[in-house]
Amino acid sequence: MKCKICDKEAIETYCKLHEKAYEKIVERYNEWKKALDISWKEYLNEAAKNPYTGSWAKEVAEQLIKSGDR
Amino acid sequence: MRALSEEGASVEKHTLIVTEKPDAAKRIAKALDSQGKPEKIEDDGVPYYIARRDRKIVVVPALGHLYTVMHERGKRNYYPVFNFKWAPRHVAERGAKEIRQWIKSFSELATNAERFVDACDYDLEGSLIGYSILKYACEGKENIAERMKYSTLTKAELEKAYDDPLPHLDLALIEAGKTRHEVDWLYGVNLSRALTLAAKRWSGKYATLSTGRVQGPTLKFLVSRESAIRCYVPTPYWNIKAEVEINGSAYEVEYENEEIGRRAEAEAVVEACKGRIGRVKKVDEREYRQNPPTPFDLSALQTQAYRFFGYTPRRTSGIAERLYLQALISYPRTSSQKLPPAINYKAILKGLKRERAYQRLASELLEKKELTPREGEKTDSAHPAIYPTGNLPEEKLSDPERKLWDLVVRRFMAVFGEKAIKQSVRVYIDVDGHGFYLRGRQIIEEGWMRFYGPYIRTEEVLLPPIEEGDSIKLKRVIREDKFTSPPPRYNPSSLLKKMEKAGIGTKATRADIIQTLYNRGYVTDERIVVTDLGFDVIDALQNYAPGVMSAKFTHDLEEKMERIQSNNEKRENVLLEAVDQLKPQLESFKEKERTIGEQLSKAIKRARLQERIVGNCPTCGTGKLMILFSRKTRKRFIGCTNYFRGLCETSFPLPQRGSAKPVRKECKACGWPLVFIHMRGRRPWMLCFNPDCPRREERRRRNEMQDLRQRSD
Repeated sequence: MKCKICDKEAIETYCKLHEKAYEKIVERYNEWKKALDISWKEYLNEAAKNPYTGSWAKEVAEQLIKSGDR
Repeated sequence: MRALSEEGASVEKHTLIVTEKPDAAKRIAKALDSQGKPEKIEDDGVPYYIARRDRKIVVVPALGHLYTVMHERGKRNYYPVFNFKWAPRHVAERGAKEIRQWIKSFSELATNAERFVDACDYDLEGSLIGYSILKYACEGKENIAERMKYSTLTKAELEKAYDDPLPHLDLALIEAGKTRHEVDWLYGVNLSRALTLAAKRWSGKYATLSTGRVQGPTLKFLVSRESAIRCYVPTPYWNIKAEVEINGSAYEVEYENEEIGRRAEAEAVVEACKGRIGRVKKVDEREYRQNPPTPFDLSALQTQAYRFFGYTPRRTSGIAERLYLQALISYPRTSSQKLPPAINYKAILKGLKRERAYQRLASELLEKKELTPREGEKTDSAHPAIYPTGNLPEEKLSDPERKLWDLVVRRFMAVFGEKAIKQSVRVYIDVDGHGFYLRGRQIIEEGWMRFYGPYIRTEEVLLPPIEEGDSIKLKRVIREDKFTSPPPRYNPSSLLKKMEKAGIGTKATRADIIQTLYNRGYVTDERIVVTDLGFDVIDALQNYAPGVMSAKFTHDLEEKMERIQSNNEKRENVLLEAVDQLKPQLESFKEKERTIGEQLSKAIKRARLQERIVGNCPTCGTGKLMILFSRKTRKRFIGCTNYFRGLCETSFPLPQRGSAKPVRKECKACGWPLVFIHMRGRRPWMLCFNPDCPRREERRRRNEMQDLRQRSD
C-alpha cells in the first residue's frame, strides 16, 4: 500500500516519515486543547498554518483536514 | 664526504629533508641555509631547494600523500573488497599523473643522500607522508631516517629541530596513521561501491554515491535533526511583557513565570496588573569574576571564525594552514588547549608589539611580573594550542588571513589577562501579588576583555539607584502570543562540534567530511537541509547495513586507533575487527541490492529534477519554473511544470552556451529567481530572466561593454 501523501511504501495509512509526523500531531493535541480549548478540527487548521510546523506535519494536517479522518 | 658518480667524478653526499608541501620546503630551506638564500632547482616541474649549512642539504617537498591504499587486484565494479596494498597515487587514482614525477625526483635525490630527515608536519598524516616516501621512493630509508619535530615554521624553531632531531621516526604514530587510512578505505570503498552499483544496476545510469565510516554517522545526525524539524508541531504559550517607568525612563521587566501554558491565565495576569503601581521588594546585587578564555585548539578557532566572520570550518582550516606556512601562527591542527612556557611568551609579545594595532596591549602584558596563561583541559601530545609566532607578515595578508590572524593574536593576549569583574542587579517588583523582575548588568573591570576587544559581545544595562520599598509604575503590560520552536538546524560549525562531541573523525578530517556531504548532494544550504537523496541513502544503509551507521561503533574504532598511537593496540586487530563488522553488513546489502537500487535511483532522479527547479511560476502561481530542454529544437529554456498538464505556457529563453544552474537567490530589483550562468571565456554572472526587470537595460549595456573589452584585448 502507498502512503496517502507521498508515493512511498505505507506502514498503515502513511509511510514511515509521515507516520511519525502523524503521531506528533496526535500527541500535541492535548496541549493545544488545554491552552486554547479548541476542537480537533480547529487544532488541525491552526497547526497547518503555523510557520513553525514542520513540512511533513503540515502535509499530514492538510490531508486530515481534507479527508476528515482522525 | 664524497662518493663517485657513474662518470667517475666525485659527488658531494648530502642530507635529504622530506617535507609535506612546497611552501614548507621553501621556508625550511631558507631557515637552514647559513646565508638564508637557498638555491631553488626545478626538476620536470618538481621544485626543490639546496641549502648550505654544515653540509649540503637538499629539501624536497611532497604534494601531500604520494602513496595511498588501493585494491590489490581486480576491477572497480564489485564488492566486497578486503585485499589492499599501498601504491603510488598515480597508479591508484585517475588525475594524479604528476605524482609519478615527484616520486622519481625523490628516488633520484635519495641516491646520493647519506642522511635522511623527515620534516613533514608532526601529526598522523604528516608522519605517514614522510614514512611512505622514505620507505618506497627512497627504498627502505625509513629505519635510518631522523625526525624534525616543530610546531612553528620560524627560523629559530626549525634550526633547533634540525640540530636536535628525534633519532628515528615515530613508528606508533605512523602505524596509527596507516590503520586509519586502511580502515577508512575498507569502509569507503565497500559502502560507496555498494550504493553506486546498486543504483547503476537498477537504472543503468552512473551516479557517484558515497558514504564512509564517519560520513555515514554524520549524515545520520543530520537526518535525525531534519526529521525532528519536519515532524515538528509547535505548542502555544504566552509571555507577559511589561515596561516600568523610573525617573522618566522606561525599562523592560520580565514576569516571574517565563512561560504561561493557558491563554486565559495570561489574560488574567494582564488584567490584574494593568496601570498598577508596584513596590520594590528586594534588590539583589551580585558581583562575579569571569575567567579569560582558554587558548585556541582547532575546533574552537573554527567555531569562533564561523561566529565572527561566517567562515566554514573548512575555510578556516585552509586560512590557518596558510598563516602557519607563512610562520605567523603555530601548527593549527591541534586539539591542545595548553601553552607551555617553552614557546617563550615574552618573545612572542615583543614580536607582536612591533605591530601598531597590538603595541599598547602587548606592552601592557610585558609589564606584568609573571605571565601565566589560562589553559583548558584538552591536550595533544604533538603540538601546543594555536598561538601567534610573534613574526609579522612579510607580505600583505588577504582580508580573511588578516582577520583570522587578528583573532589568534587577540585570543593569545587575552589568555594572559586578568579576570573580568561584572555586576548583575535583579530588582523584584511586586504588583498586587504578581512578581516582575527588572535586570541590569554592568562591567566593573574589563580585565582580559580589553585584549579580546572586537570579539566581545556584551550589552550593558545600567539601572538608576533603586531601593527596597520604592514605588514603581507599570507603564505597559501586554500578553505576547508565542509558540515553541523546532530544534535549530545544524550549520557547518555546530555540526563539527557535534562530531567532536560524539568522538567521530579527527580534527584534520571533520571539515572535509562535511564538505563531501555537500558535494554529493546529500545536504544543501548553510543552515543545513537534508535532501531527499540524503534521506534515501541513510534509509538504505539503516535498513540493510545498520551496523555501519552506528556513531558508537565509529567512536569505539576511533579510540582503538588512538590506542595504536600509544602502543596499546595492534593494527592487525583493528583491521580484522573492521572486516568482521563490514562483511555481514555488505552481504545483507547485496541480497537486497535490487530494492535498494530502485529506491536510490528514484531518489537520484528526484534530486536531479530538484536541481533544475528555479522557483515558483509568477504566472500561474502553482507550478514551478524549471530548466528544460526542447525535444524539437534541442534548445535549453525555462518553463513551467504546469505546461505538461496543459495549464500554463510560461517560458523564458536561456543562453545556449555554458552551464546554467538555479542559485536560490532572488533578483534585488524585481524579486524573481536568479540563474547562475557560466560560459568559457566570460566571467560567470547571475541572470534575471524577467523580461520586465528594471535592471535589464543596465545589465545589457554592461555585458556589451564587457564583450567589447574582451574583443579588443
